[in-house]
Amino acid sequence: MSPNDLATILPELMLVLAGGALVLADAFAPSLRPRVGLLAGLSAAVALALRWAGPLPGAVWAGALVVDPLGRFVDSYILAALLLVAVMADPYLARTGARYGEFYGLLLWSASGAMVLAKADSLPVVFVALELLSISLYVLNAFHRESGISLEAGWKYLVVGAFASAFLLFGIALLYGATGSFSLRATAGIIADGSVSGNPLLLAGLALIFTGFAFKLALVPFHAWAPDVYQGAPTPVTAFLSVVPKGAALIVLARVVASVSPQVLTPRWLPLLAAVAVASQILGNLVAISQRDIKRMLAYSGIAHMGYALVGLVAFGLDGLTGVLFYLAAYTFMNIAGFAVVSAFSDSEDEPHLITDLAGQGWERPFLSFTLALSMFSLAGIPPTIGFVAKFLVFRAAVNEHLVWLAVVGVLNSLVSVFFYVRVVYYLYMKPLPRRAPSYSEPWLVRIVAGACALAMVVLGIFPAWLVSVGELAARTLVR
Amino acid sequence: MPTEPLLSALVLTPGVVALLLLATPREAVRLQRWAGLAASLVTLALALVAWSRFDPANPAFQFVEVRAWLPTVGIAYRLGMDGISLLLVLLTAFLQPLVFISSWKPIQARVKGYVVSMLLLETGILGAFLATDLFLFYVFWELMLLPMYFIIGVWGGDRRIYAAVKFVLFTLAGSLLMLVGIIYLSTLQHAKTGTWSFNYADMVGLSIPMGEGFWHSPQMLLFAAFALAFAIKVPVFPLHTWLPDAHTEAPTGGSIILAGVLLKLGTYGLLRFNRPLFPEAWQRATPLFLTLAVIAIIYGALVAWAQRDMKRLVAYSSVSHMGFIVLGLFAGTLTSTQGALIQMVNHGLSTGALFLLVGVIYDRRHTRMIEDFGGLAAVMPLYTGAFMISTLASIGLPGLNGFVGEFLILTGAFPRHPTAVVLAATGIVLGAVYMLSLVQRVFWNSLRHEENRTLQDLTWQEVLAFAPMGTLMVWIGVHPGTFLSLSEAAVRRLIGG
Repeated sequence: MSPNDLATILPELMLVLAGGALVLADAFAPSLRPRVGLLAGLSAAVALALRWAGPLPGAVWAGALVVDPLGRFVDSYILAALLLVAVMADPYLARTGARYGEFYGLLLWSASGAMVLAKADSLPVVFVALELLSISLYVLNAFHRESGISLEAGWKYLVVGAFASAFLLFGIALLYGATGSFSLRATAGIIADGSVSGNPLLLAGLALIFTGFAFKLALVPFHAWAPDVYQGAPTPVTAFLSVVPKGAALIVLARVVASVSPQVLTPRWLPLLAAVAVASQILGNLVAISQRDIKRMLAYSGIAHMGYALVGLVAFGLDGLTGVLFYLAAYTFMNIAGFAVVSAFSDSEDEPHLITDLAGQGWERPFLSFTLALSMFSLAGIPPTIGFVAKFLVFRAAVNEHLVWLAVVGVLNSLVSVFFYVRVVYYLYMKPLPRRAPSYSEPWLVRIVAGACALAMVVLGIFPAWLVSVGELAARTLVR
Repeated sequence: MPTEPLLSALVLTPGVVALLLLATPREAVRLQRWAGLAASLVTLALALVAWSRFDPANPAFQFVEVRAWLPTVGIAYRLGMDGISLLLVLLTAFLQPLVFISSWKPIQARVKGYVVSMLLLETGILGAFLATDLFLFYVFWELMLLPMYFIIGVWGGDRRIYAAVKFVLFTLAGSLLMLVGIIYLSTLQHAKTGTWSFNYADMVGLSIPMGEGFWHSPQMLLFAAFALAFAIKVPVFPLHTWLPDAHTEAPTGGSIILAGVLLKLGTYGLLRFNRPLFPEAWQRATPLFLTLAVIAIIYGALVAWAQRDMKRLVAYSSVSHMGFIVLGLFAGTLTSTQGALIQMVNHGLSTGALFLLVGVIYDRRHTRMIEDFGGLAAVMPLYTGAFMISTLASIGLPGLNGFVGEFLILTGAFPRHPTAVVLAATGIVLGAVYMLSLVQRVFWNSLRHEENRTLQDLTWQEVLAFAPMGTLMVWIGVHPGTFLSLSEAAVRRLIGG
C-alpha cells in the first residue's frame, strides 16, 4: 500500500470516518442532533469535491479497485443522491421523532459501499462492498422501530438481500473455478483467449452473478420485494434505495458485460438481457396502473425504468453505455424529486400515501406540486425534461444496433406509463380539494431539494450536451 | 441572410413571458391577462415582420438559424421558414391574441395558469412549424401536449379529465412511434453518409429501400410511423374519436387553438415530412388515404348533422373539413396542395370563429343544446350576423374563404381522382345541410324560450375578437392571391422533389 493508493480512496475513507463520527456524536453529544443532517450533507459535498480533485490512475490497490472516469461518474451520481437525501431527510426525521446520528451514519456507510462497488474490479471486493451497502440499508429500512410496515420492509429487504448475496457469492465461486481469476479485467483476457468459452461453469457463474444483481435492480422476475420495501421504508430511505444501489449494481453489471463481451455474451446473453428488460418494462408499467399508494406506484415504475436502462446495456457500445449513464443521472433527479415531495405530503409513516390524497394540492402548494408534476412528466419521458433525453439516448442506442423492436417495445411501454403518471397530475390539478383537506407541511429544506431537482430536470433536459459528454467520457473506459 | 435571430424571437417570446409570469403572484390577474395579450401581440408583430421580409420567390428555408445542441448525436437547433410555414405561423400568431381577448371574461379561475399554458402552447406550435431539425421538431411537437392537457383538464367542462387524458394518450400513441421513426431515419442517414444528423435537409432524398410488402419495407414502415402521428392529429378517420371529446370539454379558447391550429400540425406534418421523405411510400398509400379522406368527409358531415350540441356539431364538421385537406394533399397536384394549404388557414379561421361564437352563447345561457335556442336573430342581431358570415365561410360560399380552398382542392384533384372528387363534393352539400339547419334552428324559427328574450348581444370585446377573423374570411375569399403566392414556390419544390 502506498500513500498514492490511499489518496485514491480519500472520498470513501472520509465518508466512513464521518459516518462513525456522526454515530459517536449522537451517543456522546446528543445536543448535536439537530446538526447531524447538515454535517452529513456537508460530508457528501466534501467527498464529491475530493473525488473531482483527486487523480484517476486506473487500477489501484493491487488491482482491487479501478478509479477511472466511469467510477468518477458513478461516484458523483451517488454523492449527489446522498446529498439530496441527507438534506430532505432532516425535516422528515425531525417530524417523525427519529433524528439520530445513526441514521446519517448508516446512510454515509451505505453510500461508501455503493461507491466501492461501482469501482471494484476484484470479485471479492464486489461482494464486500455490496454487503456494506446492503447491511446499512437493512437497518435504515427498519428505522421506524415502532412501525410494523417499516419493520416488515427491513425484514423483507434482509431476506431478499441474503438471497441475492448467496447467488452472487456462488456465481463468483463458479466464475473463479472456470477462469482461475477474481479480476474482471483478467477474466476479459482469459475469455478473449477462447480457451474457456462454452465452459458450463463460466456460463452458470455469469448467470448467478446476473441474478444477484437483478435482485438489487428489482428486475423481473426478481422484483417482488420492491413494492413492500418502498412502501414501508422511511421515505428518504426509499429515495436513496431507489437510486443508489441500482446505479452501482448496473455499473458492476456493465463491467461484467464488458469483460465477457463479445465472445460469450452475444449469442446467448443478449436475448436473455433483452427478455428481462422487456419483462420488467411490461410488468412494472402494467401493475403500476392499479396502485393506489404513490410509493408503491413509484416502486413499480422503478422496475420499469431499470428495464429501460437495461436496453442501453443490451445495445452496449459507446452509445448504449452513455445512455445508461445518462439514464442513471436522470433517474436520480426525477425519483428523488418525487420522493422529496411525497415525504412532505404525508403526515405519518403508518398511513398509506394515497394518490387520492393529493387532490387539489396543486393550487394549494404550487411549488412542491409543480415539482411532483414535473417529476411525473419526466418519468413518463415527455420533453423538455431530462427523462425524455434519457429515453431518447437508450432507444437510439438500441436502434443503432439494429434492435428496433426493443425501442418500439420501449416506447409502447412509455405510452402505458403515461396513464398512471398523468393520473398523479390530474389529482393534483384537476380534482377539487376535499372538504377536510389534509394540512401538509412544506419544510424549506424539502423545497430546496425539490427546487434543485426541478432545475436539474429542466435545465439538463433542454441542455443535455454537457452531461452527455461527461457520460461519454466515462463510457469510453469500458468500450472503445 | 439576416443575422438577427428573428425566428427564435418569434418562437421564444411567448414561452419566455410564460416563464416570467410563473413568478408573479396569483392575485395579479390584470397583469397576467395584459402580459399574455401583449406577448401574443408582439409575436404577431414579429410574424408580420417576417412576412414583410419574406421572399416568396425563394422556395428554400429563409431566416435560417443553426446552433449546436447535442453535437455528438448530430442534433442542432435549426429554425427556418418557407412559404408553407409562413402561412401557418401567421395563422397561429393571428389567432392567439383573439383567444386572449375572448377569454377575458369567461376565464375567471386560475388565470395565471391559463395564460401560462396558452403562451407555452403557442411556443410549442410555432416551434413545430419552424423547426428544421427532426429532433427539435419532435421536442416542440410534444411541448404542445402538456399545456393543452392542462387547458382541457383544468378549465374544461364536466367530463374534462376523461377528455384530457384521452387527448394525451391518443397524441402520444402516435408520436412515440414517430420518435422511433426519427431515430431510425438518422441511422439510415448515418449509414449513407457516415455522419450523424437530424437535419431535415439531410433526410430528404435518402432513397430509403422500399422492399416487398409492408413489414419488410423500411420506407413503408417509416411512412407509417410518421403518418400515424400526423393522422391522429388531423384527425383522419377512424382515429378521430378523441376530437369530439376534447373539443366539447375544452374551454372556448382551447377549442379555438385546437381546431384552428393544432389540427393543422397533422396536415402540415404529412406535407412537410411524409411526402418528401418517403415519396414511393406516399404513392403507395395514396389510395388508402384518399378513401379515408372521403369517408371522413361524408361520415363527419352525417354525424355533425345528427348532433344536438352545437359545439359537438362544429367538432364533427372539423372531421369533415379536415378530410378535404387530406384529400388535397394526397391528390398531390400543385393546385390541390395549394388548395389544401389555404384550406388549413380557412378552416382555422371559420372553425375558430364558430367555436368562439358558440362559446359566447354558452357563457350567457350555460347550455349549447340547439333545442334551447330559436329565434335569436331578433334578440342578438350582431351575433347572428357574425354567425352567418362564419357559417357561409365554412360551407364555401363564393366570395368567402372556404370556397377558394374547396374549389382548388376539388379542381386540382379531379384529373387524377375523379371518383374521390365526386364523392367528396357530396360532403359540400351535406355541409350546407347541417350548418344551415343549425342556423335555422338557432336563429330563425320562433323565440320559444323566455330566458332567451333578454340575451345580451355581442360585447365590444367579443366584436373585437371576431372582427379580425371576419375580415380575413372576406380578404381570402376576394383576393386569395395575397396568400397563395406566398407558398407557391415552396409547395412547387416540395411536391416536385
